[in-house]
Order: sequence, then C-alpha cells, then structure tokens
Amino acid sequence: MRLLAKGVAALAAVALLAGCGANASGTSNDSGKTTVTWWTINQSSPSADAALDKIITDFEAANPDIKIERTARAVDAHKDALRTAIGTSAAPDIYNYWAGPGLGGELVKANASADLTDYYKQYNWQDRFTGAALNPVTQYGGFQGVPWKLNGEALYYNKALFAKAGITKLPTTLDELNDTAAKLKAAGITPIEFGGTVNWHLMRLLDTFLEGYCGSAKFDQLVTNKANWGKEDCVTKSFTNLATWSKDYLNPGFIGINNDESSALFYNGKAAMALEGDWFDKNISDQKVNMNDFGVFPLPTGTGRLYGFEEAEYISKDSPHKDAAAKFLDYLTSTKVQQEVLGTFATQSVNKAVTPKAGGDALSTSWDSIFKDAKGLYMNNDQNLSLSSTTEYWRIQNLVATGGMAPDQAGAEFQKFLDSNN
Amino acid sequence: MTKLIATRLSETPGLKTRPSPKKPLLKRIAKGGFVAALPFLAPALAAYVVFVIGPMFSAVRLSLYKWSGFTTDKQVFVGFQNYVRLFTKDPVFWTAVQNSVVWVLLSLVIPTTLGLLMALALNRPVFGRNVFRSVFYIPGVLAPIAIANMWRWMYNPNYGVISDISKALHFGDGSGVTFLSDPKVAIYAIFAAFVWQVAGLNMVLFLAGLQSVSKELVESARLDGANAWQVFRNVTLPALRPTVVVVLVLTIVNSIKVFDLVVGMTGGGPAQKSQVLALWSYSQSFLNHDFGLGNATATVLLLITLVLVIPYMIWSTKGNED
Repeated sequence: MRLLAKGVAALAAVALLAGCGANASGTSNDSGKTTVTWWTINQSSPSADAALDKIITDFEAANPDIKIERTARAVDAHKDALRTAIGTSAAPDIYNYWAGPGLGGELVKANASADLTDYYKQYNWQDRFTGAALNPVTQYGGFQGVPWKLNGEALYYNKALFAKAGITKLPTTLDELNDTAAKLKAAGITPIEFGGTVNWHLMRLLDTFLEGYCGSAKFDQLVTNKANWGKEDCVTKSFTNLATWSKDYLNPGFIGINNDESSALFYNGKAAMALEGDWFDKNISDQKVNMNDFGVFPLPTGTGRLYGFEEAEYISKDSPHKDAAAKFLDYLTSTKVQQEVLGTFATQSVNKAVTPKAGGDALSTSWDSIFKDAKGLYMNNDQNLSLSSTTEYWRIQNLVATGGMAPDQAGAEFQKFLDSNN
Repeated sequence: MTKLIATRLSETPGLKTRPSPKKPLLKRIAKGGFVAALPFLAPALAAYVVFVIGPMFSAVRLSLYKWSGFTTDKQVFVGFQNYVRLFTKDPVFWTAVQNSVVWVLLSLVIPTTLGLLMALALNRPVFGRNVFRSVFYIPGVLAPIAIANMWRWMYNPNYGVISDISKALHFGDGSGVTFLSDPKVAIYAIFAAFVWQVAGLNMVLFLAGLQSVSKELVESARLDGANAWQVFRNVTLPALRPTVVVVLVLTIVNSIKVFDLVVGMTGGGPAQKSQVLALWSYSQSFLNHDFGLGNATATVLLLITLVLVIPYMIWSTKGNED
C-alpha cells in the first residue's frame, strides 16, 4: 500500500513538472521559436482571410525565430473568448478588437491591454499613423493598441435598380433618402436589406437617423449620457422613421435572418441598397459580379461626419512575448504590407504613407472622396454605449422595428434603463 | 372489471409492494453497506463536489457581487441588489420567466403525448416498425445547434420550405408567416423544433415502459370484454406510471434549461421576445459582462428547477428504500 502511495505521488510530481514545463498559452515550442498567439474575428471575405495568412507566412519567413498562431472566431465568440481568457495564462499575446469606448474601452478598463508607449517610441509609430487612426488608441491615456483598420460605412446601391425606379440623383439629406426609398418601393423593388438577428446591422440605420435628425452635437451628448433620450424630439423622429422603414422599405422577415443572408439579396439584385462598411467592396467582388453595377454614397445625414469605427491590435498586458508581438505589429502596419492589402480589409489605410491604388474601380474611388470629404467621425452606437446599454438599445430598436413599441415611447424607455443602471 | 384489474395489478410483482417499517437512518446506512462502498464512491463524489456542487455555490455567491467577469476586475459585494434589479428593473427578466413557464407547460403536453402515441403505434407488429422507430429517434441524437440551424433555414423568409408553404397557403396577412421574425410567433416556432427533437426520445422511453406491461393482464382484460381504450386506460397506463413520471421529470428538467435551440434560432430575439431564463442568464454574464445579474438569474432558475424536481427525488428515493 505504501509502495502504491509512493508511486502515485511520483506520478503526480511528474505530471506537475510536465504541466509547469508546458506553456499554457502555447507560446513556446520545442524548436526554440517564440510563438505569438493572435486572436482575430473571422474575416468577412475569403480573400481577406487569405491575405492575413500571407502576411503571417511572409513575416515568419523574414523572422524564423517567431511563429504567429492565429485563431479566428465569429464576432460574439471572439468577445466571449477574450472575456474568459483575459488575465489568465490562456490570453493571447495579440488580440484584435474594436477601439470604441463600449468595446475596446471596456477591455482597457479591465486592464487587459498593455500600454505600448515604449514600442511607439521604438518603432516611431506615432509618425506612421494618420491622426484619425491614432485618436481611438490614445483616448484612454498612453497608447492602447495599434491601429489596424479604420472603416467607414455608407450606402451601397444597385445602379440598375435605381435607374428602374427613375432615381437620377443620389440623396444628400434624410428627406431625400426617404423619397428614394419610397420611389424604389413604388417600382416594386425592396429598397434596402438588413439582417436583424445580429442586431448591430439594423442599428446602423437607427444611428444614421439619430445623427441626421439630432445633429452631431446632440448625437454625441446622447451617447455620452449628457442629454435625455426621453426629452429629445429628434429621438422620437428617428424611431418614427425607423418604424416606417421597417414596415415599408426593408426586406420582409428581415428580423429573422442574419446579415450574410440579407447581403445575398443585395448581391442578387433583390434589394437596391445595403448599409455597409468599405470592406463590402471585397464582398461584392468575391461574388464575381461586375463591380461597376454598384455604387456607394455617403449617409445623407447632413452633418458631414463619416459613420465608422476603428479596429486595433492590442497586446495583452500579461503577454510574455510583448517584444515579438510588437515586432509583428510593426510588420503588419508597415507601409509595404499596408500598401499590398489596401482594399482588402478597408479602402483606406491607417498608415499615412500608403497611397490610393491607381486605376481602382468606381467603388474604391468613391470611398476615397467619402473619406476625404468627411468632417469628423461618429461611431456605431455599440461602440459608444456600454455592453448592457447596447443590449437594451437593440431591444428597443427591434421592438420599434417590429411594431411592439410606439416610437414616441422608445426614447423614454431607453432613458429609464440608463437611469436605473448608472 | 376495473376492480378486478386493479386487484390483479396489485398482485403483479414489482408494481406494488408492502412498505417495510422504517429503521433509524444510521442503522440503515450501516446495513446498506454505505461505509464499505464509500472508498469506491469517493472519486465520483469528489468529482461531483468539484464540478457540480462547487460551481453551484459559486454561482449563488457571485449573485451577491458586482463583477464584470474579467479576472483582472475586482468583485464587489452588493448583497441582494442584483435580485432587486432583476425583479424590479430588468426589462427582459419577466419575459424570460413567462417564456420558460410556457415552454415547460407545453413540453409536458405536446412532445410527451406525441411520444406516447408513437410508442403505442410502434409497439404493435406493424410493417417497417424498426425503421420508423429509428427515424423518429434520430432527431434526438442530433446536436441541438444543428437542429437549430436546420429549422432556421426552413423558416427563412426568402428560401425556407416552411415559409414557402405558409406563403402558398396564404397564412398570416396573406403573404405567409415570418416565423422567427414575429415576436408573438418566434417562441412557438422554436418550440416546434423542440417537439421534433424530443418526441422520439420520449417514444423510446415509453416503448421501454410498454415492455413491462403484463401481456397476461392485457389478455385477461380483453377476455373480460374490455375494448382498446379500456385496456389502455385500466391496464397499460397504470403499468406505465413509473415511466410516465420519469418522462415528465426529464421533460421538466430539459425544458426549463432550454438554451441551444433558442440561441441557434433567434438568440432570444426579436427584441428579446423569445428570451428564456437560461439564455438570459448567459446573456447577462457573457454578453453584457454583468456576472452578478447573470448569476442571480441562474440562481432563480436553480430554485425553480429544485422546486419542480425535489418532489421527484423524494418519490424516487422512497421507491428505492421500500
């Protein structure tokens, strides 16, 4: 019996030593290479996925002592995985995340990301990125993350369907946009597609109405809890317009399908417009359709601001491989790589030395002017609001969109939630 | 005749036994060989404590704290504040409670009745009996998330077969029913998938129970002139009583914690109208990063489950001791 106990103890000790020797986050291996783990969201197109793989292959060839291990997940799974892993040995060395206060800001607040000030000095990153790209990573103090892509969102449209509905001029105000949708509907065309199960897709339309009807200053006050949602007429007007669009202009059954399913309606010419980001150029081209059949125009809010958000690459605070991770991020955002992938992840680069592609298609040319003409940026509200507030914002948005709540009650209902949670 | 059958039932071994007089607990434990069995039970017991009881207590404890779920974030004790928020300020909690209750009630009636009817039909020597048994059972072994995907496609308003049928039949306002998009219909549309999934499982349990029904009793009832309904009512059903209880309890437990199908088909939408307690607990914790509120919801769910299941546990324990 004593022998058995000794045997068990010896086995346990061996197992313990083996456990200590193995790195829980998989960041070192037998070949002596440093393995940097990188968590990203799934790319929206196969070509974007292939481009990331190529970046990794090229980097590893140039840096044989570093191996990059990328794990891609769906949006919500990515958020879940990070929340579970941050602060533990399972956390990745680098994680991709949205830079807005409601998402990236929450992780910064939770001490998930490392302040990269020293690396910004070492690699001279402050001179590399555009001012617009740097703002989201410096807003929390220090340098939290490295800008990866700044996406703008706008309205894509099918030229043939617009022509069929007799639309000759692109809308420049919300009233004109409402008229455009009415004309399309009158011509028997579904004006715009949305997939409601993911919530954030339809949110873009509500955000647009809020920016347009409330104006930039009031919009910013609302999302920072400095104005009362229940007392602003523009909020009611926005929800009223959302109700009208949901009832009359969106694809039937939109709330029961996701954005990929609804995008198929746009690709197939069954819906005239799609409210998407500049990554959507690649999605369209992946469908092997004629890119010149489609156009894009800025959201006609009248404020001149660009609707969009930034994604950054963050280095985990507890990463044991910060130097290798920073080296990879330096490569990822270098002028050479950014020039090569321009148009794959976004039409504009965060690297200010990158020049627009010569002879690009009509869509990318339109995006160049959309970014150039923009007077500031307003972010998607799931980036602006806290997670629980976003969940409630979506609930109310969907209630109004499905006729379950009168638009004039929506603002007060949301304010009630904000008041009881702050 | 009923009296005669009842008398015969009482004489059937295993159906009714005389209860033995109660002995003191310690004596019963010693006599039952509990102490001798303890070393063999210990590993499983330890695993149970670590992986089941421990997390359960941890969930209850967390329901009294405010915590974002990040290990880097501090847990702050707030007492019963999360419960107060849940019961008075949470805009979704009562919708989730209502849906969970409706789900349990419907589960007790529809898939159980269907399972019993299928079992009765396939307990006879009919052509292709084994094939039908397998076909009805297959949905029960599929992963719920796969079932959710399948049904979501069938309900798809643009390409789905069920939507096409409802359009062809001019249901709804004439243009078909948008099953998962309609806040009033969504929860029932998901429930239809649940019925498809579990009715076959219930059928298998009932089929097993039907094998224990005494053929002699059925035969003698028929000789006494009982028709098919009377045989079922007075012979089959009483003999199936233990199986019925097991099926009902399993149904309650499985339906109160329903999660996968709702996640896969609507995510609780539209506008949280198909939300259920288990999913709302998950959403509060993992999507909203509010682990206090999420665990308060989980604790409420635990209490409801215990209220429903404890009577069964007492009943089954008594059955074993007698």
